[in-house]
Amino acid sequence: MTPSLNAYVILSAALFAIGFLGVLIRRNTLVIYMCLELMLGAATLALVAFSRFNGTEDGDIFVFFILTVAAAEVAVGLAIIVALFRLRQTIQVDELDSLKR
Amino acid sequence: MESIAFVILSALTLACALGVVLGKNAVNGAMCMLLCLAGIAGLFVQLRAFLLAFVLILVYGGAVVMLFLFIVMLLDMQGGQPWRFRRAQVVGTLVSAALLICGLNLLTVRGRLPSPVPPAAGVGSSLSYYAYQLFTTYMLPTQVIGFLLLIAMLGVIVLSRRHRDPADS
Amino acid sequence: MDAVNTALFCLLVPLASAALILLFLRRAGGAAAALSTLAATAVAAAALDLAFSGARGHASWEWIRFGSFAISIGVRFDDLAALMLGIVGVVGLCVHVFSLGYMHEDPARPRYFGGLSIFMCSMIGIVLADNLFMMFMFWELVGFSSYFLISHWHERLSASDAAKKAFITNRVGDFGFMLGIILCYWKNGTVDLAELQAHAGAGHLVYSRAIPLLLFCGAVGKSAQLPLQVWLPDAMEGPTPVSALIHAATMVAAGIFMLCRIQVLMVPPALTVISWVGTLTAVYAALCAVTQRDIKKVLAYSTLSQLGYMVAAFGLGSSAAAMFHLTTHAFFKALLFLGSGAVIHACHHEQDIFRMGGLRTKIPVTFWTFTIGVAAIVGLPGLAGFFSKDAILVLAYGHSPAIFAVLALTAVLTAFYMLRLWKLVFLGAPRSEAAGHAHEGGITLTAPLLLLAALAVVGGYWAQVYPAGLRNVFAALPEAEGATHTIIFGTSLLVLILGAGSALAFYASGPEDTLETRAPAVFSFLTALRTSFDAAYDTYVAKVQQRVALALNFLDVIALGGGVIRGLCAGTVEMAGFWVRTLHTGRISTYVYWFLGGVAVLWAFAAGVL
Repeated sequence: MTPSLNAYVILSAALFAIGFLGVLIRRNTLVIYMCLELMLGAATLALVAFSRFNGTEDGDIFVFFILTVAAAEVAVGLAIIVALFRLRQTIQVDELDSLKR
Repeated sequence: MESIAFVILSALTLACALGVVLGKNAVNGAMCMLLCLAGIAGLFVQLRAFLLAFVLILVYGGAVVMLFLFIVMLLDMQGGQPWRFRRAQVVGTLVSAALLICGLNLLTVRGRLPSPVPPAAGVGSSLSYYAYQLFTTYMLPTQVIGFLLLIAMLGVIVLSRRHRDPADS
Repeated sequence: MDAVNTALFCLLVPLASAALILLFLRRAGGAAAALSTLAATAVAAAALDLAFSGARGHASWEWIRFGSFAISIGVRFDDLAALMLGIVGVVGLCVHVFSLGYMHEDPARPRYFGGLSIFMCSMIGIVLADNLFMMFMFWELVGFSSYFLISHWHERLSASDAAKKAFITNRVGDFGFMLGIILCYWKNGTVDLAELQAHAGAGHLVYSRAIPLLLFCGAVGKSAQLPLQVWLPDAMEGPTPVSALIHAATMVAAGIFMLCRIQVLMVPPALTVISWVGTLTAVYAALCAVTQRDIKKVLAYSTLSQLGYMVAAFGLGSSAAAMFHLTTHAFFKALLFLGSGAVIHACHHEQDIFRMGGLRTKIPVTFWTFTIGVAAIVGLPGLAGFFSKDAILVLAYGHSPAIFAVLALTAVLTAFYMLRLWKLVFLGAPRSEAAGHAHEGGITLTAPLLLLAALAVVGGYWAQVYPAGLRNVFAALPEAEGATHTIIFGTSLLVLILGAGSALAFYASGPEDTLETRAPAVFSFLTALRTSFDAAYDTYVAKVQQRVALALNFLDVIALGGGVIRGLCAGTVEMAGFWVRTLHTGRISTYVYWFLGGVAVLWAFAAGVL
């Protein structure tokens, strides 16, 4: 018996929420970034589930693109983080508050 | 059978996701992320998106998480609290969570998602079909992604240069 | 050129002269003086030509229009305007010529002559105005010219204070004038003099007591009647030719001229008020003049007194008598002022009469012309002042015995103080160094005196000497016949002998005021009378006005500005800004929390929960 679409959607939502929670509460920038990737993964899961249940494969192809973009984004983001570390000697987000009023 | 697999895979995914979020060590977090990706790949297989599952493992797990690990070990930050709570943020979080749960509830109770419709029979992940689609229907996004990757590469090179003094060139 | 164009020429030539002086001749004293005098000559020539040729005319151009309300500029050149223009032209010319000599060493000559030209333009504007709005505009301009010229020696604090006082007091009167104009427009729908005349003829002019009385306020200010007479004595701070032109002959007469123009609006109750105001001013000023030491202040109070006569004459119902006295007064008062200017010039700017004396032999031309002026003002039979004052006394005798008695008393006082002045200045022995070395000024100082003396002599014979057109203005002069004639004539003579004789007998030619030494109580009473008005205004300003101003200032700056605007409005904005600023914590997590909140709300909307 295939799990229903609802199950996949709820799973995806839960994964997304966990990822968001990580973004909210973690101090290490890299861990925050990883949680961002978690959220992306949840989104891809939902996309594939919906496309399957609509009887098509276009969702898969879209996931391709998402994966590519995620990879590029991670590369650039990590480069930024490394540059930031060189400048500020820290990657804890609550120490990076130069925009404070 | 399929539902049991589904339950196990989703449990694995969620548990590892929590491990990433709540683990103190960044390296442990990266490891958990890998396992989480494995779970998602399993779910993809269950949805009969075989190619996608492997691509996920290869690209995401093999490249992205590896990169993460490299950088974590490069930067090698130790110590400090993993997380902290502020009162206002806790309240905000609880309220937002409540709203989200309400939304989810509505989705399940009143949502018009189709009742279990099995995935279409002839649908499988045929590589030729993907390739055909990529180079005809989705030609434009493909090219644009190419540009994107080029620019990302250039951006990374620029960003990771050290600033040198004009004196010693 | 026809009348209207010539009149406009008279209006615009002094304006052009003033503009040229302002733009190009600010440092060229001689050139400015010459240009201004040339303009005055042209105006005088044109005015005399118009007076003698009898050309008259009327024209009007619309200037501003707001829907159904329009202000127009126009020329109403009738006999009255011709007479007034003639006076302004002739006296203006004499003053300009006199100024050439009097102000010769003054470093700010261009400014002075520019001011004289502006004044001539403004005064002619009042004379030619055909509607009350235009008259008001030029009224204000004349007030400005007066301010400008009084404060000519503005380095002296007293001069600039006097100019301010003149302007502000005039402003108070002008406020009433403006209210009167507005009321007239509201009730009658027009302020054009010709249209008002037509309305009156057709019988649907709206008569009210308020309109003429409010318009009279303008005359009270400009012609220095009680209670706004305080500015005229102080205005003597200006140069003497200015006093002659503005504060004796023309500007202060503008009030009388205006009253004659609006005669059609008068009602008997208003006329009674006007006549009493004039009478009281006349007697008050005459009393104040008795104790003055400064030659110009005596003449200033004398002017006030004679203006009171004119206003009383108008109030008693005869504008012809008022205009007649205005004409003769212009001649002999300008003569007296210019004569005093010559005396001051001769004594090297000494103005205290108790430091003069014995000038009869030193400056004979000035002496004889001044004597003619004095004789005219006290009403020596045969000279100009006699006829005009007689006309007013006849009028008063016919209408109101009380006013007649007061005016007769004023005539006694007039003779008294004028002869006092004459005796102390010219007779006796010189009482100071400067008086001992007095010498006559040049031709520019004496020629105007001679001309004005001639006019003072013949000016009373209006039926014989005046051109045809101007005679119409005086056609309605009250004539006395029979018993009344004898009574009035006798009264005039009695007044003259009484006043002149007592002055000549009483005052000794010494360095102190005989009245002060022999009757100190009377002297101090008269001095108190003079300063009482200034003291009253001072008290009012200090006690009432200042307090109101301070209260309003508190309301505005502290209550409104501080409390409401900076406290309430700006304060609220500041608090809001302060609160918004706290949102910028600089921490990423805070911003992400806000994201979460936003997403939750959006989802709730989309799901239909909210």
